[in-house]
Amino acid sequence: MPDRPNAAELVEAVWEFLGQEVLPNVQDHRQKFRTLVAMNALAIARRELEGDEGGPDEDELRDLARRIREGEVPELAALKNQVAAKLRISNPQYLERYE
Amino acid sequence: MEVALSHKLGPVRSAWLLPGGASKEAWAVDLADGTELLVRRALTGVIHRDTLTLEQEFRVLEAAYEGGVRVPRPVAYLGDIEGREAFAMERVEGETIGRRIVRDPPSGIEQQLADELAKIHALAPLDFLPSGDVIERFYAELDSVGEPHPAIEYGLVWVRERLPHDRERTFCHGDFRVGNFVISEHGLESVLDWEFAHLGDPIEDLAWPLLRAWRFGADDRRLGGLGDPEPYLERYAELTGREVSAEELVVWEVLGNVKWAIGCLTQSRRHLNGQDRSVEYAVLGRLAAEMEYELLDLIEHA
Repeated sequence: MPDRPNAAELVEAVWEFLGQEVLPNVQDHRQKFRTLVAMNALAIARRELEGDEGGPDEDELRDLARRIREGEVPELAALKNQVAAKLRISNPQYLERYE
Repeated sequence: MEVALSHKLGPVRSAWLLPGGASKEAWAVDLADGTELLVRRALTGVIHRDTLTLEQEFRVLEAAYEGGVRVPRPVAYLGDIEGREAFAMERVEGETIGRRIVRDPPSGIEQQLADELAKIHALAPLDFLPSGDVIERFYAELDSVGEPHPAIEYGLVWVRERLPHDRERTFCHGDFRVGNFVISEHGLESVLDWEFAHLGDPIEDLAWPLLRAWRFGADDRRLGGLGDPEPYLERYAELTGREVSAEELVVWEVLGNVKWAIGCLTQSRRHLNGQDRSVEYAVLGRLAAEMEYELLDLIEHA
């Protein structure tokens, strides 16, 4: 067990630094955009580090992908839940668009 | 850069890099005689599979311009500018940023988009345009990523079983959507970004701007956050005779989501495999899940 700050807390610290100290001082539009993209990447990393969603592992996904390609019809609701779990890490707000 | 450009274009007063552009640089260039140009330049020396070279893109732009499509007037293919190829075109005024455009879309934009698309699909094919089978290409690209994606697999199977086989092939833009349109208060000014031009099923182009990914948050306006699809589809049918049922359109919309999901995955690999290290490419790998969810939702409601 590492000393604190843990990985998620370190990522959060860098995210705050970018948002509070770097972003307000960036003049160039392209740099500003890239800073926002970088902050988004950190937010994803933080949610992943903090989350504990036990989804299917890679072997299970590989097996499912192969069976679907061979013609097996998957259970749509289960597939959607798998993707929703990924979205809760990558972009939780996205799911609100379907409510 | 100004010196390199002036060798090809004549005396340059100023040149500055414009924001945006994930795959190409865009330079605003003012010549000493007052001419305002936009120079499109490759971001790296690497030529990517399935996109045109800038020289080919310039020839496509010329063909579109001659065919009466609203595009910036092509000025010159410049060849090598400091190690990367580039071409110059007229700089057009207007907005391209999706989030701004969907706030207040101009009236009549739906029909204007159909007008341009009908003209594009009537252009004579150019010999270098790629024309492979899309489904085969998507499988090859997905396999090159090497990561399991059951949702994309299902989208591909579902589409393959439903795609009509007897359509004609036409000149296609390949990325006809908000973000690649220059829009002013008068409406559509220009269609940009011809690097994905190819020969394919025109309905692929027709359905592409309907994707949720190109509605920029204005989800209830299904045509690119701009308006309803009906006036757009009706005008396109009027001009081309190509009638598309709602059922068929959903199939193409699912395919579009498959295409953009795979596009995100392959672009993120450009970062991961060291070809183009960039945080912008990197995060695209995590964007693919949005298109996976959308395609499953479309299939569920079909």
